[in-house]
Amino acid sequence: MPPSEGADASSAPKEDAKPSPSSPPSLDAVRLRKQPPPEGRESLWRRRSAIFSFWAVVLCLGLPVWWKTTAIYRADLPLQDMTDWAEGKICKPVFPLRIAVEAPLPPQDAHHLLRTTQHALDDLNEFSAHHLRLMLADPPAPANASQQVVVDGTRNTSDDEDIALSIRLIPVETGATPRSHLQPYSPTLDVYYTPNQIPPPSSTGSPLATFIAHELHKIFAEEQAQLAYLLSTASGGHSSKMKSLSPETSAELQRQSTRALKYAPTYHLTFSLFTPTSTPSAWDIESALRQYVAPLLDSFSAISNFTVDTQVQLYATFSPSIRQPEYDEALKAWTLRKEDLSGFINAAEWPLSPSIGKGPTVNFVLYVPDKTQSPLLVKESGANSWLIPQWGGVAILNPTAPGKDAIVSASLTKEALGPAMHTFSNQLISLLGLPQMPSSLPLRISTLARVRAASLIFSASSTLGALAQVYQKLPSIPVPDSVAKSVDLALAHLQLACDRLREGRFQGALELARIAEGEAEKAFFERSMVGQVYFPDEHKVAVYLPLLGPVAVPLVMAALKELKSGLSALRGR
Amino acid sequence: MLSFLHFLLLIALVACASASSDYHERLLLRPLPQSTLLASFNFRSMESSVAFAQQNFRYFPRSFGQILQHAHTKELHVRFSVGRWDADNWGQRPWHGAREGGTGVELWAWIEAQSEEEAFSRWLTLVNSLSGLFCASLNFIDATKTIRPVMSFVPEGDHANSTSLHLLHGTLPHEVVCTENLTPFLKLLPCKGKAGISSLLDGHKLFDASFQTMAIDVRPVCEGAGGSCVLEMEQTVDMVLDIARSKRPRDDPIPRARPIEEIECDTGKGYNSGDTCYPLDKHAEPAWNLTELFGRPLKGACPLTEETGDDANTLCINTPPERTIQVNTTGKYAETRSASDTLRCYKLPIGAEFDLVLPEQQMTTGLVRAEPQLYAARSINGHGQERGSVQAVIKNPSETDAVEFVYLESLPWFMKPYLHTLRARVDTSSENPVRETYYRPAVDRRRGTHLELRMVIPAGSTLTLTYDFEKAILRYTEYPPDANRGFDVAPAVIRLLAPYQSVDKKGIYLRTTSLLLPLPTPDFSMPYNVIILTSTVMALGFGNIFNLLVRRFVGVDEVPALGAGGLKGVIMGKIERLKAKLGRA
Repeated sequence: MPPSEGADASSAPKEDAKPSPSSPPSLDAVRLRKQPPPEGRESLWRRRSAIFSFWAVVLCLGLPVWWKTTAIYRADLPLQDMTDWAEGKICKPVFPLRIAVEAPLPPQDAHHLLRTTQHALDDLNEFSAHHLRLMLADPPAPANASQQVVVDGTRNTSDDEDIALSIRLIPVETGATPRSHLQPYSPTLDVYYTPNQIPPPSSTGSPLATFIAHELHKIFAEEQAQLAYLLSTASGGHSSKMKSLSPETSAELQRQSTRALKYAPTYHLTFSLFTPTSTPSAWDIESALRQYVAPLLDSFSAISNFTVDTQVQLYATFSPSIRQPEYDEALKAWTLRKEDLSGFINAAEWPLSPSIGKGPTVNFVLYVPDKTQSPLLVKESGANSWLIPQWGGVAILNPTAPGKDAIVSASLTKEALGPAMHTFSNQLISLLGLPQMPSSLPLRISTLARVRAASLIFSASSTLGALAQVYQKLPSIPVPDSVAKSVDLALAHLQLACDRLREGRFQGALELARIAEGEAEKAFFERSMVGQVYFPDEHKVAVYLPLLGPVAVPLVMAALKELKSGLSALRGR
Repeated sequence: MLSFLHFLLLIALVACASASSDYHERLLLRPLPQSTLLASFNFRSMESSVAFAQQNFRYFPRSFGQILQHAHTKELHVRFSVGRWDADNWGQRPWHGAREGGTGVELWAWIEAQSEEEAFSRWLTLVNSLSGLFCASLNFIDATKTIRPVMSFVPEGDHANSTSLHLLHGTLPHEVVCTENLTPFLKLLPCKGKAGISSLLDGHKLFDASFQTMAIDVRPVCEGAGGSCVLEMEQTVDMVLDIARSKRPRDDPIPRARPIEEIECDTGKGYNSGDTCYPLDKHAEPAWNLTELFGRPLKGACPLTEETGDDANTLCINTPPERTIQVNTTGKYAETRSASDTLRCYKLPIGAEFDLVLPEQQMTTGLVRAEPQLYAARSINGHGQERGSVQAVIKNPSETDAVEFVYLESLPWFMKPYLHTLRARVDTSSENPVRETYYRPAVDRRRGTHLELRMVIPAGSTLTLTYDFEKAILRYTEYPPDANRGFDVAPAVIRLLAPYQSVDKKGIYLRTTSLLLPLPTPDFSMPYNVIILTSTVMALGFGNIFNLLVRRFVGVDEVPALGAGGLKGVIMGKIERLKAKLGRA
């Protein structure tokens, strides 16, 4: 027993402990002690109110202040709207296309022809969201009002841009009639007919009307398929009104859509010449671009801007991860295996870094193989070019006359570049997601504008939906006001874009959808939101524990003691 | 000793190449005293400004060109350097110091902009993009490390409208230049280190050199007034190799003593015997060859260079005529001698390896070493955590000419010089050598000090420049992880104005070494100690007051016991019971 113990404490336990623990003796010991004077009611209440007021300050002031100062700011987001957009509940895109008809006919006949053609068209169309509306291009002076309503509820000829296609009716005397010709460089369909094919006002159908209807249907078939595919892949309740697609069409459309680059207002095109040796070290790329690529880019200028740069890179070797080309006796050529094509671009060595500035870079690589490995082809197909989805294209340029001197190929002429440039143009067209049909380029581009507008609306909506999910799932991320602002802007522009689509003003819809997409992406990729994802609540406590611990102990002990004595007092009473 | 061609002229000879082809390269080898070798690589590629504007890049690297266009940079100079040029032994600097940088990274550029703010934002764009391209921390060049020199730099290129050009200069003396900076440097070359003299550049050897500097210079060159312009990009690597060190095999790099039987002993020493030997210094030029020295063979010529004429001679070596040089190659090469046979140039074979073999040789003649126009040294003096002083000693070795020069200091903001303590003294005269002063004081955490002095040293004298400075105390978060190492202060740049003139617009420069400034460093566990201490004090205070308020005070003998004798009593009872039980059992 240590002698340092307090005198009053040491004597008492010794006596009590000897007999095994029974309560009566110890109670006796306590009873023996001098009792403190009974506590006055006033001091008891004073003590209790002191404890109570401390607790009140802690609970009502301390904890809220602590909570508030360490809380993460989360701006309010219109979560319900965002989810609704993502689920497609708000906007059901429709594509009412206006088709202007120029007919050298008396107004009465023209309106009748329109009406019958429209009937035939409506019968053919299975896809309700995509709707073709015929109208007279240059309405002759006040025509029959009732018929005008039949043709088109609202007469809107103000904007030329909104007319998807013009049909020109041209009376001819010779040749098979009716026949049609789609102009390759303007959205115009020429229909040749003999005057006797104009339907008489009494009849309900005519071969000319049916013919025009079928032609139109054929022209827009691919666009309809694309849109139908887009609607079916987008989440939500579009499936009900979608027309069924055959599995082959669907697979083909999927292939096209995975290939295509994401829409951007600016694309950077990089044309690179790679060779494993030192020749050719020059190419006449400037004039080749002017001849083969510039016209194509001009026609795309309505949708996107393009910057073009070129480079020459010598001594570019294959990456060690792919198998070196093998000589194939049957093809009399060096061959690359198809599975190695994905590793053909030696990303570590070849300087194909993205261009500076906003927008994706599309790479076109012209590879001139070594003389000892020429001609170089793909083993399975014997092809010399391939497309890398969402990245660019590769073309292998084998010298036309194998075995010729190096001097010939030291510089590539415009003519030598021709086939490769054609390949690159085709690759660019598929990378941009341009449909294969119809043959008129402006029509294809306007189709692209519609498809892009719709896909932008869908992608912006799904981005907003994802943001709403992140907001709900991760309560610890901060959400600044700028995100809320971007979300509001995105929602507003989405609504406007959807309205424009309904009005058939596709160019405007594309512009608005582009803004909506940009704002949605900006909100989703806000940098400050990811900052504190990995800073859990425990850290907040840990930093304050040295203060909170020592303060909390007396508070809690006092409260417990007081509660205990209060309870025993109650029981004693 | 025979006197041979002046090194100055030699460099000029090498640099002045006609602009007929668009790509030139040349390697100049020059043995230096103490068995070292200076290797100066020079690569120049040209792109017409029309093609550059249209982004049709042929010899000019695309990634680099796009950065310049994006940042509206008209002329650019980047330097990556390691080591110190030993002017006392090695003489004049290669390229007169115009292709040399201070230790670490140095960057200056002329940027086209309407206002200073625009220029600075473009400068930030430029350093950030270059940082990614060269794998260097160039993005750390911010406002505090950027200055706008007034007298020290002049544009090398021909600029049409120089009024809208802004010169900005930044340094990173702390940056460690290493192999990862060489790889992107080589990728910018058309032959990419696969052929031509660039095939000799190997990261292990380059960064093992006693001194090395890599430079990239982009400038527009116009022929006459209104003539066609080309954008010239010059890449330069200068390295001083220690021959004995470079010849060590890579798999066994540790130097070992040779067995005593293989060493030729100096029998003149008194202690020479069977087991003690002082190696005989034969003063012979050591044997070396290119493959051994650079660690890889020279793979022939880069086919893009000129095939005939002076530009075809891409490898030159500057030695006395009596030095034996054997050529080892299977291809066709040509040798030309110029400048009284002291400069031997070789036209390299295409596609075949090429090697120069120099045997060990006792020399009777040597080359005259060109003496530098100025010697400069700078150091930090003083002690303590509060103040210090900087002393720069600049010596003019010429017996006849007074030298006029500009001295540029770019100091970090936490090193605060007192300008009133600036003293410049010349030992031979009492005249004040400072002719002009440009000073822009530092602003804490916003910009550094910029000091430019135009001074004149009389012939054969030494100039001593001193000034005192105060060390600032940084904020806790501003210290780097290795705070106790000290902070690097960028080298001073000295540009010679007169009487020496360089043949082109490059100018004559020299740089001092960088300085290491020790700053007072706090104990970095301090914040946690402070948190714990304040929390404890607050808790103590709180506990006392709280107890005073809620405790009931009674007499000592009136304390109600917890059980019997409190907690201690309970425990004692338990122990006693246990003892009793054990005793019974």
